[in-house]
Amino acid sequence: MGQASNHATGGSQDVCVEFSNVDKWFGTVQVLHGINLTVGKGEKVVVCGPSGSGKSTMIRCINHLETHQKGRIIVNGIELTENKRSIDRIRQDIGMVFQSFNLYPHLTVLENCTLAPRWVKGVSRKDAEALALRYLERVRIPDKANFYPSQLSGGQQQRAAIARSLCMSPKIMLFDEPTSALDPELVREVLDTMAQLASDGMTMVCVTHEMGFARQVADRVIFMDAGRVVETAPPDEFFRNPRESRTRAFLSQILH
Amino acid sequence: MDFNYILDALPDLMRGLKMTLMVSGLAILLSCIIGAVGAALRTSGFKPAEYLVTGYVEFIRGTPYLVQIFFIFYGLPSLGLRLSVFWSGVVALTLWASAFQIENFRGGLAAVSHGVRDASASLGLKRWHHALLVVFPLAARAALPSSMNTIVATVKNSAYLQAIGLVELTFVAVDRIAYDFRAIEMFFSICVIYLLCVFALSGLGHALEHRLNRPFAGR
Repeated sequence: MGQASNHATGGSQDVCVEFSNVDKWFGTVQVLHGINLTVGKGEKVVVCGPSGSGKSTMIRCINHLETHQKGRIIVNGIELTENKRSIDRIRQDIGMVFQSFNLYPHLTVLENCTLAPRWVKGVSRKDAEALALRYLERVRIPDKANFYPSQLSGGQQQRAAIARSLCMSPKIMLFDEPTSALDPELVREVLDTMAQLASDGMTMVCVTHEMGFARQVADRVIFMDAGRVVETAPPDEFFRNPRESRTRAFLSQILH
Repeated sequence: MDFNYILDALPDLMRGLKMTLMVSGLAILLSCIIGAVGAALRTSGFKPAEYLVTGYVEFIRGTPYLVQIFFIFYGLPSLGLRLSVFWSGVVALTLWASAFQIENFRGGLAAVSHGVRDASASLGLKRWHHALLVVFPLAARAALPSSMNTIVATVKNSAYLQAIGLVELTFVAVDRIAYDFRAIEMFFSICVIYLLCVFALSGLGHALEHRLNRPFAGR
């Protein structure tokens, strides 16, 4: 299998995320096989692949929501170990957006956004609210600040979740299928928000099936299958001229 | 039925009610705390704590409440622990109610989605911040209806404590009947008083439920 060596192509020299030979098991099932991956500062990487290919598991390893068993993961110069301090440190630099939004249902949008700045960073309530409103404006839902998540559409909830992550001023944003749970007509607004974030220079790793988004925003597209990175290429090359037959088969399934 | 007799007995009944409310109030407060802590231990993944809590719940649920009361009031002194009637009552009622509150809160905890845990972890929240600010309010809301049942039952089960001579509402009624044989007047009165207490509590519970449900109203 064409195990590509995935080193940052162009852009900045700074490395944000580095996987070397990462293996992961769930019990006796191996879900990641020798993953090598480097994400440079400011780079936008889109990860795609069939369900069960390990793409979500891989990005959940970046902020240690999942624990890898072999190999090394280095994030912003800190190696991920079982050391709680280093995990907390790394998590403060990484924002994450989930398929099912995972907003706190009992808190308003504003409270969702201010909780972590106040309790993790010790920001005052006033400053945290000002910060939150700024990001809610950026995702274009400042008028929803005092609403509860249940009163928002899916697209608005996901944008609130993005704002909540941004309030911690992350250096890297992870997106785990952020539009998969949305009604088709709500996908656009979330993708636009992500594209805007990308144009502001955020380092991003996105697991998504939105190939239009990958074409428009990604510096690199990574295709995973059965826990392995099968192919990695700039979007133009990836879509026009995929090298691996497995990639071609996948693309013919999802592109019409 | 002689209503003048009831009026005459009212001061006694009120004294009994005061004791009923004191014992049940303390037991409700303590059992809710023990329930929350016990449920957290029960689901902590720390096996010895899980077995301990499970064993406790099974013991309380598997033995008659009256036997538990006698065990504490008559049994413990021979083990060197002598409690007053009042504190025996509080302890017995609390131990009984806690077992049920642990189960209620455990149900509440199970209703909290794993998603919010991922969210908190990814935001760098400490575990106890997450527990206090996210899990507790969500679990409490989910546990509230069944928890209210236990709270109401706690007030009613304080009546058993007349068996060890605690001068609460039922004791007062039974005591007066022994002298005056006005059974219908006394039992009618205390039934009404218990009912009023339970209605007040249920009303409080519904108001709280309504308040906690506000964020979810749009769903």
